[in-house]
Amino acid sequence: MERDNDPHRPEKARRRALKALGAIGTAAAASHPALQALAATAARVVLPFDNGERELVVFPQKRPLILLTSRPPQLETPFAVFNEGVLTPNDAFFVRYHWSGIPTSIDPQAYRLRVGGKVDTPLELSLEELKRLAEPVEIIAIDQCSGNSRGHFTPRANGGQLSNGAMGNARWTGLPLKKVLEKAGVQAGAVQVSFHGLDRPPLEGSPGFVKALTIDHALDGEVMLAWAMNGEDLPMLNGYPVRLIVPGHYGTYWIKHLSDIQVLDKPFEGFWMSTAYRIPDNPCACVEPGTTPAKTVPIGRMNVRSFITSVADGAQVPAGRETTVRGIAFDGGYGITEVALSADGGGSWRAAHLGKDLGRYSFREWKAAFTPPGKGTFELKVRAVNRIGESQPMNALWNAAGYMRNVVETTRVVAA
Amino acid sequence: MRSRPNMACVLKIALAALCTAPPAGALDITLPAETASFKASNLPGYPLVQQNCLVCHSAQYVQFQPPSSPRGYWEATVRKMKKTFGAQFADEDVAAMVDYLVKTYGAERVAAGEVGASTAYARR
Repeated sequence: MERDNDPHRPEKARRRALKALGAIGTAAAASHPALQALAATAARVVLPFDNGERELVVFPQKRPLILLTSRPPQLETPFAVFNEGVLTPNDAFFVRYHWSGIPTSIDPQAYRLRVGGKVDTPLELSLEELKRLAEPVEIIAIDQCSGNSRGHFTPRANGGQLSNGAMGNARWTGLPLKKVLEKAGVQAGAVQVSFHGLDRPPLEGSPGFVKALTIDHALDGEVMLAWAMNGEDLPMLNGYPVRLIVPGHYGTYWIKHLSDIQVLDKPFEGFWMSTAYRIPDNPCACVEPGTTPAKTVPIGRMNVRSFITSVADGAQVPAGRETTVRGIAFDGGYGITEVALSADGGGSWRAAHLGKDLGRYSFREWKAAFTPPGKGTFELKVRAVNRIGESQPMNALWNAAGYMRNVVETTRVVAA
Repeated sequence: MRSRPNMACVLKIALAALCTAPPAGALDITLPAETASFKASNLPGYPLVQQNCLVCHSAQYVQFQPPSSPRGYWEATVRKMKKTFGAQFADEDVAAMVDYLVKTYGAERVAAGEVGASTAYARR
């Protein structure tokens, strides 16, 4: 797409924003009755941390989701969705953008994906050309925000105050990135590949949301360009018409509306790699609360997590009768080998039964029987282990950015 | 919104016609109206925040930060918006904006009712 014809260029986005600002200002100043009525009727949820009250709002192609921010749209999946099935429906899949200049109209005929930089043959592919470039592949993989669960950090970490719903598991259809890079011909000396989508900052001078992978990672045959999600076109807010899939890695790399791929002969130094999305350079990606790490590295592979999905905190279960507790577990791509459930706050553990293996990048379902011996409150905890022996900490780890939370989760149920 | 390609295919197949390509046409979406606004205040930073923050993002970015966020956080964040993200406001406006933010949404909130309302949702 030529920059002059780009509908998302900063000047236009800025004018749109100013127009929106005018409308808000008027409504707020007048305490407009329509606005008050809307506020009174909007469905709300309260996430379990201080200042956790949120609206449930319908965005295009989405069911009501938890509204984190309106502009740009950031939407969290209500946690009950994860008990509906192992794949997260497209209309419930979380949404995360960084800049407000997001595309709201994309013509698939006019869309082009450019591949340039240190390649023998720069490419400019239409969607149809991309789809015909190689045999399509499918993978089931989790997309999880680096800051998923940030709102649960103690002490609190600033940033998007999310509960546990900034994650989703989908079946992605597309091509290995490797096929596209091979078609372009990666030149000797290439060290990284950078990715940019059609979303743009609202102002000139802001760093565009560009992410980079090492050349070996980009050519590993697993990183994918996907045009379908659970058998349908990607929803606009999840990256229509094509997004990057980086299995096992946090969503920050999963560039939406992918439009530009550059093969680089030196490491990419942009803000979103060199300053943002960095974690302490140690095995736990953690520091003592309130301190800063000596050295940081870009965030990468996801750590091990597990959740109970069949009962919510505070739910009632029958005393003296068996309840099947179900949930999900996942990691950064080694695969979950073991899940255990405790019904006494971590004192004793019983192995859970693992569900069907949908691949090492997918949610793995599990279930375990729980029979409360009598009436009272029970503290259920779930813990997973992956193929290389990584597990979850009993006490939450901390870093200033609020990334990579993976504490053993606790769900209190009341037997009655 | 675009017409559903599957439906079009079903109809064409019923007519024994070939259906090899999705129908042309753009995917268009219309985003819902914003619902959040900054809390009205007599502090001089209130109009500045409306003018300078909402150009780029909605008010929830501020509204949903932990109420314990100290002055240093708001100061660093306002400066980041200008220095790193290119927001166009004068350096002399920073102090007033920070003061409004920390007193309205952060650790220096003055209204007792505010404190009560927020602690009501503290984790169990």
